[in-house]
Amino acid sequence: MSGQKITIEYNDRVVRQFLLATVIWGAVGMLVGVLIAAQLNFWQLNFATPWLTFGRLRPLHTNAVIFAFVGNMMFAGIYYSTQRLVKARLASDFLSSLHFWGWQFIIVCAAVTLPLGFTRGKEYAELIWPINLMVVLIWVVFAVNFFWTLARRREPALYVAIWFYIATIVTVAMLYIVNHLSIPTSLLHSYPVFSGVQDALVQWWYGHNAVAFFLTTPILGIMYYFLPKAAERPVYSYRLSVVHFWSLVFIYIWAGPHHLLNTALPGWLQNLGMTFSLMLWAPSWGGMLNGLLTLRGAWHKLRTDPVLKFYAAAVTFYGMATFEGPLLSIKSVNALAHYTDWIIGHVHAGTLGWNGFMAAGLIYWLLPRLWNKPLYSTALANLHFWIGTVGILLYVAAMWTSGITQGLMLNATTEHGTLLAYPNFLDTLNTIRPMMLMRVIGGGLYLAGWFLLVYNFYRTVKGAAPVNGTIEVYDEEPAPDGKLSLAGTFFSAPTLFWFLAVGFGSMWMFGADLVSTTGIVGAVACLIAAFALVPSRSKAWGGWYEKLLLNALPFTLLVFFAVVAGGLIQIIPTVLVQKAKNVEDRIQTPYTPLELAGRDIYVREGCYLCHSQMIRTLVPDILRYGDYSRLGESIYDHPFQWGSKRTGPDLARVGVKYPNIWHLRHMEDPRSISPGSNMPTYPWLLSHRLDASVLPAKIKVQRLLGVPYGPLTAQQIFDSVDEQAKGIAKDLRASGGYVESDQEIVALIAYLQTLGKALPVITKSAAH
Amino acid sequence: MFKRLILEDSSIWYLITAFVTAATIFLIITWRAVRMPRAEVDKFAQLPFTTDADERHDPSA
Repeated sequence: MSGQKITIEYNDRVVRQFLLATVIWGAVGMLVGVLIAAQLNFWQLNFATPWLTFGRLRPLHTNAVIFAFVGNMMFAGIYYSTQRLVKARLASDFLSSLHFWGWQFIIVCAAVTLPLGFTRGKEYAELIWPINLMVVLIWVVFAVNFFWTLARRREPALYVAIWFYIATIVTVAMLYIVNHLSIPTSLLHSYPVFSGVQDALVQWWYGHNAVAFFLTTPILGIMYYFLPKAAERPVYSYRLSVVHFWSLVFIYIWAGPHHLLNTALPGWLQNLGMTFSLMLWAPSWGGMLNGLLTLRGAWHKLRTDPVLKFYAAAVTFYGMATFEGPLLSIKSVNALAHYTDWIIGHVHAGTLGWNGFMAAGLIYWLLPRLWNKPLYSTALANLHFWIGTVGILLYVAAMWTSGITQGLMLNATTEHGTLLAYPNFLDTLNTIRPMMLMRVIGGGLYLAGWFLLVYNFYRTVKGAAPVNGTIEVYDEEPAPDGKLSLAGTFFSAPTLFWFLAVGFGSMWMFGADLVSTTGIVGAVACLIAAFALVPSRSKAWGGWYEKLLLNALPFTLLVFFAVVAGGLIQIIPTVLVQKAKNVEDRIQTPYTPLELAGRDIYVREGCYLCHSQMIRTLVPDILRYGDYSRLGESIYDHPFQWGSKRTGPDLARVGVKYPNIWHLRHMEDPRSISPGSNMPTYPWLLSHRLDASVLPAKIKVQRLLGVPYGPLTAQQIFDSVDEQAKGIAKDLRASGGYVESDQEIVALIAYLQTLGKALPVITKSAAH
Repeated sequence: MFKRLILEDSSIWYLITAFVTAATIFLIITWRAVRMPRAEVDKFAQLPFTTDADERHDPSA
C-alpha cells in the first residue's frame, strides 16, 4: 500500500440541504397537483383568477415535481453516494453551495413566473429564457463539481451508479440547451428557434429524454447504490447492471418520436421511435429484475423496514411503467391511448411510484445517518408507505379506466365507420367524471402520506446535531497502466468502427444516388472489417474497454457521442428538409399581427395543455375534427402547439366552425355554450387591454426566424392590429357582444378564427 | 441531397437496420459483461460497502 493515511470528511451539509429542499418542494409540487386535479372536477376552483387557473398551474406542478422535487432528491443522492464511491470529499464547497442556492433560486423564479403566465409554451420547457440561462449555468456548476470530484478520487474503479450519473449530466445538458434555443423579444419573452414539425420533434426528443435522463438514469444510479446498502448485500448481478446501462444509453435517446405517432411527423421517424421504444423493454426489465433480486434473502426485512418497502415498491413501479411505455408506443395502441388519461396514469405510475417512493426510501435511509439519530417513527414511515401505495393504485387505476374509456368513446364509430358513435365531446368528459374524482382521492392520499414524511422528518431532526461522515483512507496514486488518453480513446478500433458505421449508415439512409451507394458500401465494408479483426484483436479491444471503465473523461465523451448520435440522426434531416420551401399540399399563412398577439395569449394561458392542434391520420379524428393536419399547416408556429392531451377537443380547424360571438361567450362562460364543460372562465380577457407595443419586436424576431413577414413598420403593425380588431369588435356588437376592440379577447378570437385556414401550395407546374 | 423517405418502400430496411444495430450493440455488451472475471465483478459489486466499516459520523462544523 503506497501513500499515507489521511482523513476525509465528506461534505454532507449540502446533502442535508438538498434533502430538506426535496421534502419542501415535494409537498408544494404534489399540493399543486392535487389542486389542478380537483380543478378538472370542479371548475369553480379556478376562482376566475388568472394565476390560479389550470393552464398556468399545470406547468407549475410538472416543473415543481420534476425539477424541484426529483431534482433536489437526485442531487442529494448523487452527492452522498459519489463521495463514498470515489472516497473523496466534493471538490469545492463553494460550488456545492452555489449549486444548492442557485437551484433553489431557479425554483423560486419558476414558481413566480409560471402562475403569472410567463411561459415558452412547451411542456416541461416552459421556463422563460433568463431562467433557462440560470439553469444551464447551475448545471455547469454541478458538472464541474462532480467531474472535479471524480478527478480527485482515490478509488480508481467507477461503480455503475457513477456511470448513470455521468450519462445524466451530459445528456440533460445537451437536451436542455437544444430544446431551449430561443431568440428573446423582451426580457420575459422569446420564440423558440424551431417551428412546427421541427419544434415538435425537438420538443419530444427533449420531453421523452427528460423522463429518461432526469427521472430515470440518475434514480437508477441511486438505486444501484442505496438499494444494496439498505438490503446490506451487493447488487444481484453487476454484469446485468453493465448491460442495463449501455443498453439504455444507446436506445433511450431514439424513442422520442413515439410521442408523435399518427401525426404529421414523417413516417420514418414515427417507425424509428416505435421500434426503439419496443427495444427498451429488455434493458428496463433487466434493471428492474436486478433491483428486485438484490433483495434476495432480505425479503423478510420488508415486514419491518420501511426503506426496503419503499425501494421494493419503487422498483416494481419502474418495471410496470417501463412495460407500459413501450406498449403505448405501438402505433395501434397509441391510436387509442394518445391524448387520453391513460398517458396521465402511465406517467404517474412512474413519478409517484418510481420517483416518489425512491425519494421516500432515500430520505428515510439518510435521515438517521445525516443527523446521527434514529428515525422518529418507523410506524409513521410504514403508514406513509401504505397510504402512498393505496393512493397510487387508486390514481393509476382511475386514469387507466378513464383513458381507455375516453379512447374507446372518442374513437367509436357507427354506420360502418362513417359516423361517430359519440359526436358530442362532452359525452366522454361526463362519463369519466367519477374516475377524475377518484384521481383526486388517490392523489390526496399520496399527498397525505408525504405530509407524514414531513412530520417524521421534522421530529427526527428537531434537536439533533447534523453530522458529516468521515473515513480514513490511503492517499493512493491511480495505477499508471490504467490511463487512457484522448487519442487512445478516439483512435482506437472500437471507436473508429462506431463512428464510421454511424456515418455510413446515415449516408445510406438519407442520401440520394452516389451518397447512398457510398453509404451502403462503406457500412458493409465496416461490418466485414470488424468481423475479420475480431479473432486477432478481441483481446486488445477488451483491454481497451476495461481501461475505459477506469477513465472518467474518455468514458464521458463516448457516452456523449452515443447519445448525441440518436438526436442528430433524427433532428438534422428534419431541420434541413422540413422547411416551408419543401412543403407540399398545404402551407400555413403567417399570422396577422393581431392573430400573433392572440396566439401569444393562447400560449400564456396554457390552452395547449388541454387542447391539441393536430388531427391525426385516423378515421375517428377526421370524422370529429375535419381533414387530417398537414405538416405545412404549422410550419411557421414558434412554438408548435400540437399538444399532448385532449381534456377538451382538438382546435386545429376550429377557425372554420364557429362565429366570433361563439368564442366570446365560450371564453366568458364555457357552460353557457357547452353545458357540462369543465373549462375555466377567462373574465380577465374581457377587461385586460392588449399590449400591442411589443408586437414590432416580436414580428422582427419572427422574421429573423424565417416567417415571411414583409418589411412592416411599427405604425403599419399598429394600424393592422387596429383595423382587424375593430372589424371583429363590430361583428361581435352586431351579434350582441359588447367589447372594446383593444381587449385581449379580440386578439384571441382573431387567432382562433385563423386555425385551419392554411393555403394550398401552388407548385411551379400548376402555376404555369 | 436527401431522398424522399416517406414514399420509399425500402424505408422498412432502415428499421430493420436500426434493430439489428441495437441488437448487435446489446449482444456485444452482454458478451463483454459475461466475460468479466468473477474477481472483477465481485470487486465492483462491493464498492458501495468498501468504506462502511471505517466511516464515522462526527458532528459537523
